Amino acid sequence: MKRVYLGEFEEIVLLLVASLKGEAYGVNITHEIMEQTEREVRLNQVHASLQRLEEKGMITSRMSEPVAERGGRRKRLFKITAYGKQTLNDIKTVRTHLWSLLPSSI
Amino acid sequence: MNTNKPAPPRWANRLLHWYCAPHLLEEIEGDLQEEFHYQVKHYSITKARLDYIRSVIGFIKPFAIQRKSSSPNTTLSMNMLIHFLIVAFRNLKRHKSFSFINIAGLSLGMTCCIFIILWIRDERSMDNFHKDGDRLYNFYQVIRANGEVNGSYTTPVRYDKKYYTPFDSITKVIPDIKAINFYATGYEKPWGRPENFQVGDKLYKSEGSRTSSDFFNLFNYEVLAGDPHTALSDISSIAISRKMAEFLFDSPENAMGKTIRYENKLDLVVTAVFENIPVHSSLKFDFLLNWQLQMNGKLEWSSSNVLTTIKLSETAKADEVTVAVNRLLQTYIDKNAPFQTEIGLQPFRDLYLISNFADGKPSGGRIEYINIFSGVAVFILIIACINFMNLSTARSVKRAKEVGVRKVVGSSRSSLIAQFFGESVVLSFLALLLSLAWVALFLTPFNELTGKQITLPLTDLTLWLTFIALMLMTGIVAGSYPALFLSSLKPAGILKGVLRFTPGALWFRKGLAGFQFAISITLLIVTIVMSRQTSYVQHTSLGYDRENLIYVPIEGELSNPQGYASLKQQLTGQPGIAMVDRCSEVPFAMNFVVDINTDGDINTNDINDSAIKWEGKEKNTATGFMPMSVGIDFIKLMDLKVIEGRGFSKEISTDTADAFLVNETAVKQMGMKDPIGKWISAWKKKGRIIGILKDYHIHSFHDAIKPLIIDVKEFEYWGMVLVRTEPGKTKEALASMEKVYKSVNPKFPFAYKFLDQEYEKMYRNEQVITKLSNAFAILAIGISCLGLLGLVMFSAEQRTKEFGIRKVLGASIVNIMGLLSKEFMILVAVSFCIAAPAAGYFMNQWLQGFAFKIPLSWWIFASAGAGATLIALLTICYQAIQSAIANPVKSLKAE
Repeated sequence: MKRVYLGEFEEIVLLLVASLKGEAYGVNITHEIMEQTEREVRLNQVHASLQRLEEKGMITSRMSEPVAERGGRRKRLFKITAYGKQTLNDIKTVRTHLWSLLPSSI
Repeated sequence: MNTNKPAPPRWANRLLHWYCAPHLLEEIEGDLQEEFHYQVKHYSITKARLDYIRSVIGFIKPFAIQRKSSSPNTTLSMNMLIHFLIVAFRNLKRHKSFSFINIAGLSLGMTCCIFIILWIRDERSMDNFHKDGDRLYNFYQVIRANGEVNGSYTTPVRYDKKYYTPFDSITKVIPDIKAINFYATGYEKPWGRPENFQVGDKLYKSEGSRTSSDFFNLFNYEVLAGDPHTALSDISSIAISRKMAEFLFDSPENAMGKTIRYENKLDLVVTAVFENIPVHSSLKFDFLLNWQLQMNGKLEWSSSNVLTTIKLSETAKADEVTVAVNRLLQTYIDKNAPFQTEIGLQPFRDLYLISNFADGKPSGGRIEYINIFSGVAVFILIIACINFMNLSTARSVKRAKEVGVRKVVGSSRSSLIAQFFGESVVLSFLALLLSLAWVALFLTPFNELTGKQITLPLTDLTLWLTFIALMLMTGIVAGSYPALFLSSLKPAGILKGVLRFTPGALWFRKGLAGFQFAISITLLIVTIVMSRQTSYVQHTSLGYDRENLIYVPIEGELSNPQGYASLKQQLTGQPGIAMVDRCSEVPFAMNFVVDINTDGDINTNDINDSAIKWEGKEKNTATGFMPMSVGIDFIKLMDLKVIEGRGFSKEISTDTADAFLVNETAVKQMGMKDPIGKWISAWKKKGRIIGILKDYHIHSFHDAIKPLIIDVKEFEYWGMVLVRTEPGKTKEALASMEKVYKSVNPKFPFAYKFLDQEYEKMYRNEQVITKLSNAFAILAIGISCLGLLGLVMFSAEQRTKEFGIRKVLGASIVNIMGLLSKEFMILVAVSFCIAAPAAGYFMNQWLQGFAFKIPLSWWIFASAGAGATLIALLTICYQAIQSAIANPVKSLKAE
């Protein structure tokens, strides 16, 4: 099976988009990553990642209603697609299989 | 929003707005803002600001900058294309006069361009047909003496005062040189002439050359019969052209091994027959003789300009070979010589185009004309393109509504641009078709004009690609301004009312028209100067009477004293013939210079010293005398003026023995005072100066008059017989000449030349260039006027209402014409100010090539300016009268 390559950071972003259930956008994803993984990320990195994921067809987006605290600007909300879910499952399966190959001492 | 509320740094925000793609700006800026407020709340303003800046800078990435392509379906569908084509053709049909002016202008420009491309292509293909062309090099010789550097193709066979050719064995000394060939024509000046052949009773006169036996190994002239490798290896061999073989032996095969009588003194065997020399060969010869035979002194004079060509090995580098050749040469050269000699290499194929020397290096020649005409081609095409731009923008008032509607319906700017470019390419395609028809139609006159045999090579793919490139380029250049301008119009503005041009756009278009006129005026000045100069060289008195002069080479029986005497005696008194005499060189193009570097002791009686010496000459002064030996009647026959002393006279018997005439320049060069009666010696002969000739032209007007020395020799075995015919009796004179010639010199065909015709041939290049520039100037002016007409039409259309009101208030027709003409007259005046200095500069450069030239007087510029103004005025008047006499009711009633 030909699989689309997914970088480690992209995988994290994709997982978070999935976990935020259609309410994912730049700021909350950034905050989630910082909280969950304790790494320093910037908005622009997250945006670039989202852009790539959307090009690959793993997520789709829509514009929200205007938000006051953003100065009346809208958010772009992301949602995982079936293809995105499939890809995550594939990755998980491969990982599990690889783990199962390890000797139990580790 | 609360003003106290903390805000991100404004400059960072501006930066973001500047670079960020519009469709991403909202979400990115929103996210940044949200994050900013989050940080203000949880950390501090400073950190929030710092973070904001870092993020803004962090977003400078391709994904955020890249603009979304403006129309989502950029792929032009087939339907759209067909639609564009239909609209284009509808527009063509609806505005017939505009389309006509457009296509005609473009096609004229393209026709010029195609002709020039064909001409340049032909010029460049000269000498380019040899298989190993890139390994063939000519020697040229550089001589440095007294701080002067002189370059020439002549590589003398003589170095170190011995007849020796160090190059004979060069292939053994320098292994990189595979073969070497010497080539000299037998027909070039000063004493060259067509040579004579006889087979049975067939006489044949033709121009040929002498060459080394390797000739056919170096050059790829097609050999029809015989072995090219051994063709010229024997000294009794001759290679002849198909034409010559067919004339003398009926066919090339028949000619092989047959004997030909050369100049009635030598029998030669035909060892090869080659195809007639192709037009693209700058070496011209009808037959080839063996080089060694020439060196043995068995043949007639050959040109002293020996062309030495070498063929390098495949791996050789030209500059390394040059060094090796010079090292070899230095071992042969007299170390005490007052001058240094060097050899340089020039690619053989450059011989035709770059044949002049500057500072001892090949530079200039026909290549200059190629450069000039390439420039002219580009400029004429630009003029035509500008025309197109001006006309289509002028018409844009009508097209603007279409643009508005298209935009409202949802056409993106890029598809509008594509549409307008498409239209201009369609137009330029039509123009190309039209101009190909023009080219086919005018190819014959063009060939006559340039003396070439150019055909339209329909099978040449690169040429077609060139044409297509030309078409696309013209279409895109011509369409660029209308496409970009029209597509930028704001639909709201167009649909609401009248289209208004910004002053910038108007200036731009005026600038274009001014540029057109500047080029046209430049070409006009060039044409006037060239025509004046050409007519000057043709009609200025040469100092002698060149009309009614016929000359015949001295050859065959005429090379014997009795033969010549008999011819002269029989001719004298024949009907139509006024006078007969001889001279050693053609009087209008003397070529022989006494070796300026030899200088003996001034008082020597050494009869073998042929240097020219005179009373009071200082050692080492060199004047470069042109010597000539003539019959005693020469001065009278040529109608030369003697300004001091006397001419040669039959009554004074010593004149044949020791009398000399010199010209004014010679006196000046020798620095002599009271020259009459002073002694002078030339040609192993010492004598007295008996008179001074007024300077007359012994060369073309390219060269200054050189010092001339003339003595009397009633007979010499070379040179030419000059015949002065009576005015209007040329026919009778020729008839009697032919009769006498046949009886005196039966083995040689009678070949005569008219001096005035041969004189004019020296200016063939200039005549061609003048005619071409005439044609191009007329075209350029024509196209520019079309452009101007377009501008005036537009301007008149814009101001219809204004004129209507003016007329109602009492303006006269002249007032209105003045209003319309004034701004364009200023335009022409400005372009004249630009054109005149540029043209003056170029023409001054061109005239430097002449020693005798017309002055660049003010009236040349004035008349060019006046001419251009007049033509422009007529063009403007055409439209201005129409606007001025229009009934104001018509223009004012609709509002």
